[in-house]
Amino acid sequence: MASDSGYVDYVAVLGLEPDFKPADVRRVYRKKIKDLLIEISQVQVTEERRNRFLLAIAQLNAAFYILRDKDRCEKYLADRAQVMQIEEDWRAQADKTEASDQFRRQFDQALRDFLSVYMEELMLEAGRDPECVENSNWDAAHERHASSVLRRYRQQLFHEIHERLPFYDITQPVVDWDERSRFVAAIIAGEGQ
Amino acid sequence: MARAPQPKAQLTDAVIAKSFAHTVATGDIVNFRFLFISYSPLRQDSTEDINSPKYEYLLPPDENDPLYRSAFDLMRNPEILAHVRAQLNRQGPPQLPWEPLMRLADNAVRLNKLTAAAQAYEILRVRRRIQEEFLAQADAALDAGDIERGVRGYVMATGLDYDYAAFPEPLPAVPNYQERALILHGEYPKNPEDAVALQPSEEHVRTGLHYLLRNAEIAGRLETRPVALRIEFLQHWVHQTDPLWDEFAARYRKACGLAKEYGERLEREQRAEQGQQTLADEVEAARDTRDPRGISAALSGRTSLELEWWQYLKDMAYRHPASALFVTRQIVAKDLEIVMPRFRSDSELVRRLGLEAV
Repeated sequence: MASDSGYVDYVAVLGLEPDFKPADVRRVYRKKIKDLLIEISQVQVTEERRNRFLLAIAQLNAAFYILRDKDRCEKYLADRAQVMQIEEDWRAQADKTEASDQFRRQFDQALRDFLSVYMEELMLEAGRDPECVENSNWDAAHERHASSVLRRYRQQLFHEIHERLPFYDITQPVVDWDERSRFVAAIIAGEGQ
Repeated sequence: MARAPQPKAQLTDAVIAKSFAHTVATGDIVNFRFLFISYSPLRQDSTEDINSPKYEYLLPPDENDPLYRSAFDLMRNPEILAHVRAQLNRQGPPQLPWEPLMRLADNAVRLNKLTAAAQAYEILRVRRRIQEEFLAQADAALDAGDIERGVRGYVMATGLDYDYAAFPEPLPAVPNYQERALILHGEYPKNPEDAVALQPSEEHVRTGLHYLLRNAEIAGRLETRPVALRIEFLQHWVHQTDPLWDEFAARYRKACGLAKEYGERLEREQRAEQGQQTLADEVEAARDTRDPRGISAALSGRTSLELEWWQYLKDMAYRHPASALFVTRQIVAKDLEIVMPRFRSDSELVRRLGLEAV
């Protein structure tokens, strides 16, 4: 079974049961976004926190925007299941060069599409939804700043997933972390330079 | 009639090993990857020829260099050489051999080519862990009171940072202080205390760490440490990353003198407006025709007086990143704004960095 990590689960973001109803989505979203806004108002906002909070608001907005609409929700769940299945297929074929390469390309494209639609485009689109705007106070300034935060988030997810996949662009490294640690110590001591 | 191209001489293992060893020894990730691409001069089916004078740069100029010798020994390993040969004969994207790439990344770190190292470690999927190792050892050094080592660890860790928001694809995060300085001074300080340079010590140190380390998460690791240690950290950071800082400090002190003279001139002009001008003031005013932009020029080391304040600031921050923490914007006439030195007289950091006029 392919790992779930990286393919953000919006059902889990809102903490919903698998058989949730649209009314549950609205109720849980309102509570969560309210709690988050209260938390933001109570702490000093540093640059790091601001990015984290923007991402958290964008995630809640996206979860609400996608899950409350039946068609959008079904498509999201199907796309997510599909990209996870392709990863599994590729892993199964990883030792067969020709087939592996074909699956890798297919997976790479499917993953990029999935992340850019659900981890960026729809997150920004959700921020323009009147109900999300009303509940989260999201505005054009948030969107401007969030676009680079979301791009970074999407690429980070891509790399997280990429890092656990079979090696194809490089032979599998055999890393001796004790030796790595000694190398770092030598550089810090100014010996290696 | 066009002459048929001469068939290429068979490439020897020695030439292949030498070319790769040179890229490995010099931490050159760009040429390392170039040697594998479809028109690489090392490919038998390519029309490019490694023996052509234009590819001289791909061969080592000094075969006795210890880094090169060690890389050459690695590249002569029959298994690695066979893999490289197989990739050079293969159509499609190559599979890079991990051992030379790891050695290349290590050499890039040794040679302070940190963006090349970051790229190589990223391909090896070990960049984040190595970055974390640098930070962990640097924190341990700071705990033990060894600021020099601590700073070196942080310099390396931030140098290995990656910009996942880069478009169209993630790239190593490059130092871009010329842009960061503009953001730092993006808003004109309406009140003197709004100026970055006049922030209270703790806030100033915090701003400095975030600006210089370029990564809020990494800078955040230092926030729980005492202010005195963070000031010492910044002092070492500036001296380790900017070998010409003392030259800037001398220019800064000179600019402070010019700013003081300019202040006196403004006072004279004010007295003249109020009809309280003395004969000495009149003589001084006649002599003093200096352009206030001379202050910004002195700071940035430029001779031109025709530039805008932000051009001086960008220039200065590019050469001496920390300089942006000790200057401010100042409107001196209706359509004239300059960058001038400004600092808090009680600032320990200013004293340690030699910016205070003697």
